[in-house]
Amino acid sequence: MSVADRANSVATFRFIEVRLMEIIARWTPTTPEMELKILFGRHIWDFAQHADALGKRVFELRQPEQHSRRPSEQYLALLDDVGAIRDTSERLAAMYDAVLPGLERRYREYIAASDEILDEPTVVILNRILTDLQRQRQEADRVRRECDLRRPMPQHIISSERSLQTVVA
Amino acid sequence: MSDIEFDQIGKLRIRREPARDSCFTVVRNDTEMAEHDGFSDLARREMVHRHMSNEITSIDIAAQCLVDFPDALWSLRMELARQCWDETRHVRILHRRLQEMGGRKGEFPISAFEWCVTSAIDNLPGRLATQNRTFEAGAMDVVAGLARNVREAGDEETAYVLEGILADEVQHVRFANRWIKKMVAEDPRTLMRVAQAIRFLAAVNAELQAKEGEESIAGKSFETPEQRVPAVNISDRKLAEFTDDEVAAILRQAGFRSILPEDSHA
Repeated sequence: MSVADRANSVATFRFIEVRLMEIIARWTPTTPEMELKILFGRHIWDFAQHADALGKRVFELRQPEQHSRRPSEQYLALLDDVGAIRDTSERLAAMYDAVLPGLERRYREYIAASDEILDEPTVVILNRILTDLQRQRQEADRVRRECDLRRPMPQHIISSERSLQTVVA
Repeated sequence: MSDIEFDQIGKLRIRREPARDSCFTVVRNDTEMAEHDGFSDLARREMVHRHMSNEITSIDIAAQCLVDFPDALWSLRMELARQCWDETRHVRILHRRLQEMGGRKGEFPISAFEWCVTSAIDNLPGRLATQNRTFEAGAMDVVAGLARNVREAGDEETAYVLEGILADEVQHVRFANRWIKKMVAEDPRTLMRVAQAIRFLAAVNAELQAKEGEESIAGKSFETPEQRVPAVNISDRKLAEFTDDEVAAILRQAGFRSILPEDSHA
């Protein structure tokens, strides 16, 4: 990957992390369960920190600091669909069983494709984010059990997500 | 700003309450709350429950600011995102304390007044002035006094929790003070938006707060609104970067009652 390719990917990942922060921020006041508000509030800060770290890395790759790049229109539409979900259980399923696992896969693919010495700063950031994303999914599982929430299978979102070869436009 | 609708209170347009667990009874007036006089077990439990509820509301408010103002500078959005996390920790620790005291969520009526006012304001400086610089700064005064009073009543654990929360609140007030000053310096019209927000808050307060002589459902009798202004937490207000003139103005409103730092008793 060239410097420009890496900058495009990192700026796209930043856009996605900011959008995830905004989606769960939008869900927070309209979700009744206190335990879910706690979950979302914690993860808002996680996503903000991910975006911030990626935004600083973008600057090191010859782009303006905290520069974001819109992902592909299909991926953006998928995120819009997720953000529009109203039911609590479906919100959790879409975010934690579909979007986050998909994002983890894309971050791993980036790491596998990158030069681990030349692009080590990005790899370090993505590995830290991966640890957070796994923890977030575990926390969501715990809250689902505590609140006795059903766990619908968001098959259409998983399928849509997997059908996209890349999120970078 | 379309997810939660607005309600009309006289000539005022406030935001309808955010979603709450079905176990909660949500009210709008102080008189419908179960606030007690004194520091009995029941009074302290209700106090912890009320503060827990207010912290839930603070998560909602900070989160909604991230939604409504996507073009705010990133460093300010980071402050709001961090505030979301802080408020979740406050809810968790107050909920834990409530359970230790034998209470449960939904045990008492709650209000989301701060949301109804703040989230009705259509600009970020106005919201920071209302939520962080007024409600949270006011909470610094209240919580400092409460921590001292519950400790005197023998409840060291609740005092410990409240003091931990208070330290976080200083930062929430401080970042709002810093950003409002920065925004005013960049655009003096910001000051007008801040003033409008504070006038709006005063107007809603006048509509909904308990009048002198009214009683809560738990029998607490309300004094005049002026007499209800808590003693001022001068040291934390200074840490939160209120100017000396601003602290003096707040002291005048409070009849020059202030909370001295614990160290000053030594």
